[in-house]
Amino acid sequence: MLKILIPTLMLFPTIWLSPAKWLWTTSIAQSLVIALASLSWLKWSSETGWSSSNLYLATDPLSTPLLVLTCWLLPLMILASQNHLSPEPLNRQRTYISLLVSLQMFLILAFGATEIIMFYIMFEATLLPTLIIITRWGNQTERLNAGTYFLFYTLAGSLPLLVALLLMQNDSGTLSMFTLQYTQPLYLLTWGDKLWWAACLLAFLVKMPLYGVHLWLPKAHVEAPIAGSMILAAVLLKLGGYGMMRMMVMLDPLTKELAYPFIVLAMWGIIMTGSICLRQTDLKSLIAYSSVGHMGLVAGGILIQTPWGFTGAIILMIAHGLASSALFCLANTSYERTHSRTMLLARGMQMILPLMTTWWFMASLANLALPPLPNLMGELMIITSMFNWSYWTLILTGLGTLITASYSLYLFLMTQRGPLPSHIIALEPTHTREHLLIILHLIPIVLLILKPELMWGWCF
Amino acid sequence: MLARLSRFRPALARFRTNPAFGARFVSQSAPSGAAGSATVSDLQPSRATESHGHAEVSAFEKNRDYHGFSQDPVVDEWNMRMAFFFGISMAIVVGGTFIHYLPDHGMRQWARREAERLITQREAAGLLLMEENYYDPSKIVLPGAGEE
Repeated sequence: MLKILIPTLMLFPTIWLSPAKWLWTTSIAQSLVIALASLSWLKWSSETGWSSSNLYLATDPLSTPLLVLTCWLLPLMILASQNHLSPEPLNRQRTYISLLVSLQMFLILAFGATEIIMFYIMFEATLLPTLIIITRWGNQTERLNAGTYFLFYTLAGSLPLLVALLLMQNDSGTLSMFTLQYTQPLYLLTWGDKLWWAACLLAFLVKMPLYGVHLWLPKAHVEAPIAGSMILAAVLLKLGGYGMMRMMVMLDPLTKELAYPFIVLAMWGIIMTGSICLRQTDLKSLIAYSSVGHMGLVAGGILIQTPWGFTGAIILMIAHGLASSALFCLANTSYERTHSRTMLLARGMQMILPLMTTWWFMASLANLALPPLPNLMGELMIITSMFNWSYWTLILTGLGTLITASYSLYLFLMTQRGPLPSHIIALEPTHTREHLLIILHLIPIVLLILKPELMWGWCF
Repeated sequence: MLARLSRFRPALARFRTNPAFGARFVSQSAPSGAAGSATVSDLQPSRATESHGHAEVSAFEKNRDYHGFSQDPVVDEWNMRMAFFFGISMAIVVGGTFIHYLPDHGMRQWARREAERLITQREAAGLLLMEENYYDPSKIVLPGAGEE
């Protein structure tokens, strides 16, 4: 763990002490070396869960894929931000990259935490750099509203979580994940206990987001600059899923009854957000709502607590993280050229940027869960395990899959096909940097087809 | 019908602003409520000439081999090399090879082999494949019924 944390900490001196013209080069090189080193976490040669050399930070098959995804995403964020930050003064560029690195630090500590209070503190800590990135570097005046929604939705959900965790710590003396899996099931009978159950999960449901409490997400994703959108879509949403999977261990017998409204909301959310996507005119907003739909499926998979459900949830989290981040990067390449997120104003890009169309095509196919990409594998595992739990969910998940395919196709056709508007026939050609950025998203998704057991978690 | 389209020609002429790369397509009118969220409100008016890679002169004019990293050609070249080397050659190729040659992840293949081995062993010995009791009941010592 330290061999990743210390180089990440040392990114701060790299950023602040690099000469001005080599700032981005050194940052990207060092963050890619960290990403390479993070792959060593994938080694899981025992059949026991946790791997650690100390009591406080450990990895297990649930947190490892998310940790590797986090470490992989930092260089991609730096690549994506390089162009739109170039007119800014040097210290502001350094501050921006420092915010990304501090977010990385908090995320590594969050996913590696073995004690739930530590996880909670890091979960909250990630809000601050993200808020600063959205409200300072967002492009429209709505960014202030977006930051407010983002901050207060998450805080409102997580304050009950703090109370619930402190109650649990008081009762059981420890919140270490090592021992929590071996505690007796809690016989939770009173209304207070049921509120405690809800308090444990609410923060993560807001973060995922669950359909009823999802309003912060379209605002935050749309108003954030590209690195903000990438980290939000790829990793911060998965903090919610990860937290839920950790808490499920101790919430067990109650969940069978109490989870129903949330499962229903999650399923309904897939249909509703999918339908909203079909009516979107704003490109980033479409991708944001598609994230809500996919995460609804993940939430459903986690709440039914079956091995396939958990496994499908982890696979879908990783695959969606990469695919959604790729779509935001593609949307950003369009935005940097036309300064508009309106899809109607930037149609027919295939005529002028054909290789970018290939990447748009692959990312859209990943989003609509094309086999053999892991997006499909995760969705299929969740859908089948939900079918096993209740036959009726098949109607909602099946319809959801259909709508997902429709809006992914709509996204591709609207941006790439169709007549090229006459006012954008002379756009700047695609930079090498942009091609590299997208293929660094797409190649891992494709490679994961070959070794999916890295993502199967500890249940499978 | 095509002749009627000719009445748009004077209006379209407004759009042919800059034949070189990089005309900026930012709405010059005051942002209305409906369209405001999708247009850029000009946060840095003084930098209008070199913002967002849409300079009045494209970076490709000065540097034919612009890779998108930096205006300085040497830094641009080196940045591209570093990003590709560490990103593709190291992280994906070397990292991918490392992952490919990792031992049996989570001992899943071992578990399968062990299960098959135990099955053949137990079938050969004529035993049941699995006992109903995990522990041998004769070895469990329970306290007596009337004690304590």
